[in-house]
Amino acid sequence: MTGIITTRGTAGTPATTATGGAASSGGVAAVGTIETATTAGTAGARARRLRLDPRTKLFLLLEANLLLFCHVDTRTEALLTGFFLLLLFLSGRIRAGVRFALIYAVLLALSLIEPPTHGTGAWLAIFPMLAVGIRMLLPCLITGAFAFTTTTPGEFTAALRRMRIPEAVIIPCIVVIRFFPTLREDYRHIRNAMALRGIPSGGRSLLRHPAQSLEYIIVPLLMNATTVAQDLSVAALTKGLGNPGRHTSMTDIRIGLLDWAVMALCALPLILFLAGSL
Amino acid sequence: MSNAPDSRNGTGRIIIDAQHIGFRYRTGPSAETETTGRAATAASPATGTLANASSGASANVPAALDDVTLTVRNGEFVVLCGQSGCGKTTFTRLLNGLTPAFHTGDLTGSCTVYGLRSGQAAIEEYAAVVGSVFQNPKTQYFNALVADELAFPCENAGWEPSAIRERVREVAESFGIAHLLDRSIFQLSGGQKQRIAVAAACMLRPRLLVLDEPTSNLDRQAMADLNAMLSHIKASNVTIVVAEHRLAWCADLADRYVLFESGHIMLDCPSDRFRSMPEHQREQWGLRALDLSASHAAVRQRVTAAPQPRNGITAAATTIGPQLRPDATSPVIATRGLTVGYRDARPFGRLRRPNPGHERFSRTIPDLSLYAGRIVGLMGHNGVGKTTLVRTLVGLAKPLAGNVLRHGETASSAELTRHGFLVMQDVNYQLFADSVRGELLLSTPYRNEFDAPEDILQTADRILADLDLAGLADRHPMSLSGGQKQRTAIASALMCDKELIVLDEPTSGLDLCHMRQVGALLRDLADRGKAVLVVTHDEELAAEWCDTVVLL
Repeated sequence: MTGIITTRGTAGTPATTATGGAASSGGVAAVGTIETATTAGTAGARARRLRLDPRTKLFLLLEANLLLFCHVDTRTEALLTGFFLLLLFLSGRIRAGVRFALIYAVLLALSLIEPPTHGTGAWLAIFPMLAVGIRMLLPCLITGAFAFTTTTPGEFTAALRRMRIPEAVIIPCIVVIRFFPTLREDYRHIRNAMALRGIPSGGRSLLRHPAQSLEYIIVPLLMNATTVAQDLSVAALTKGLGNPGRHTSMTDIRIGLLDWAVMALCALPLILFLAGSL
Repeated sequence: MSNAPDSRNGTGRIIIDAQHIGFRYRTGPSAETETTGRAATAASPATGTLANASSGASANVPAALDDVTLTVRNGEFVVLCGQSGCGKTTFTRLLNGLTPAFHTGDLTGSCTVYGLRSGQAAIEEYAAVVGSVFQNPKTQYFNALVADELAFPCENAGWEPSAIRERVREVAESFGIAHLLDRSIFQLSGGQKQRIAVAAACMLRPRLLVLDEPTSNLDRQAMADLNAMLSHIKASNVTIVVAEHRLAWCADLADRYVLFESGHIMLDCPSDRFRSMPEHQREQWGLRALDLSASHAAVRQRVTAAPQPRNGITAAATTIGPQLRPDATSPVIATRGLTVGYRDARPFGRLRRPNPGHERFSRTIPDLSLYAGRIVGLMGHNGVGKTTLVRTLVGLAKPLAGNVLRHGETASSAELTRHGFLVMQDVNYQLFADSVRGELLLSTPYRNEFDAPEDILQTADRILADLDLAGLADRHPMSLSGGQKQRTAIASALMCDKELIVLDEPTSGLDLCHMRQVGALLRDLADRGKAVLVVTHDEELAAEWCDTVVLL
């Protein structure tokens, strides 16, 4: 049983990131991984690692989305993806970096293959097409993973506060970060409870009785979420969340020379491409 | 008064001044129980029928507080006690401003806390002088990281970053939680979470600390830790008000006890007089024991399993009294050389080389046997593996080594899941249908009441009647009180004729009367021929109702 659940959990993380990145809002999806980042960060010694300002990371995320939006050529894209991967490596996310690099390399190779355009093998063209499509999303995923796995929630809120984002936006962001692990935990409990009651809860039953299965999962999930929401509001209010005055952040963040250099370096190829294509 | 140290500090000033408070929730009768997850719905046989408020014309919304007058002086440690729904939680909400601003209702009389008048001051104003700690460790932190959570009140108050960092360090050191600062709160134990909650409540140097049943999910050690924290806080002349059922953990700190009953104050006396009262008097009021040593000794007596797991030694202790050993019957569930735990579950974990020494948690369990008709208590500190063991016994987790026998034969996880049932601590996860009867039928192959044959329906109704749920058959499960939900979950287990019923912390946050109701229910289940295993920190429950106790 645990085996199944574990497999699901592991498969879930990259999948959510993929959908979020495609919608050019890597933020929403990558939030799910933010706490894994912080735990990994605390586990290892974070001695000589690249530390960028969260705003720089957001800038990179935006740029990756621009790459997709502007349809840059393969060369520029590969170059920038290389930069992004380098940042990922420098900030200590070696495993993720290797994984992304491998996927990117395979997709790049696949998309460079010239398939036969007619005859019996013409349907093979679908693979390079798919490869190109997924490959173009990868820069968003890489920067998304970089931004949200190397930033603590504290840094993130500090950045938002520094950018003069209203508290009405910041607070929901904190709540989302807080809620993701809770939801995952709740989901696990509900699946267990369903197993004990003999209610089929696997993927197959979801396909056969989608409405029924969703109801069994979502109703308890929501019921629980409402009580958690009320408890959280109470906890937050008694800690002065509703204070009308200025809210500060414990974490100091600063855009340093390194941040400017990284931003300039990553912006340059895109600017050159845009200048050339105009 | 026994609070002589306070007058020595020259601070006998009245800081909480409640005069003739009356309060009635506007949202409905469940307001009191929403956060506490249970209700005093069942008639309480132990107490008299003073509850005229709940049986009167306005039975819909009984007054939560009725003519309450109470003053508290600076530096006092006051324990508010009384049965569930007696109004003590509502009173704590008056002190931190949640009532009537958040939990709305009609307030009469006047309550002043450090000059803040209830109904007039905003919750934010209270935040600066009153620190609050709540019941559920899981839902009272707002940030994912410990340091962020500690910084949170200061950030909201607009402190300078350097001052916040300084204060976080100071508080963490004084409470001995500095090593937790950069941990994720999600990974802490319940006891650690509750310590973080107290520390966070102290960040703004409050003058008053209000705790609403802070120990209902804690084990013995965690309660001792909390006691140490509060004595530290008390020493710095902070006034502390605790609403609690469990009286033992803070008995040495309390200066004064205030007993609530149906919204009234029944008794308000200094701690030495309270302590000198006879035990049966406290029981009559539905209060938990002041002194747990008797229960503790009784529990120790019933412990038959070795406290340390003896690695590799199989024929270890079994958990059955010799007088009741039924020679013919084999145990419903027995374990042989069982190691429980879970493997490191990280993304792409499958792709990594299998590494046998890399389990994130594992524990060898001394062999145990669960017999039909017996109640076995499973006790031990948080994080010792009780939950994992229980999940293994009902087949939700696979054993890392060894095996689980069902009637003497090795059983697969799927088989264990078919024949075992776990009543989770949070029963909300376990209720799926839209009526209580439907909940029972969901456990049958028929799934709902329209397809089920008559005899199945009759069986369901009989089980409902046995569990005192007959009148609630058509109610939506989520509209029930905590205890009723618990019984509904158990009814669903009886419906599918499970052999082993495991309850995870069934009495957390319950007063004496409700705890005994749960105990009687356990006995009833055992008498029906079920093997009952109850995971608990509640020594009173274990002492009164468990036949044997396994200590992990």
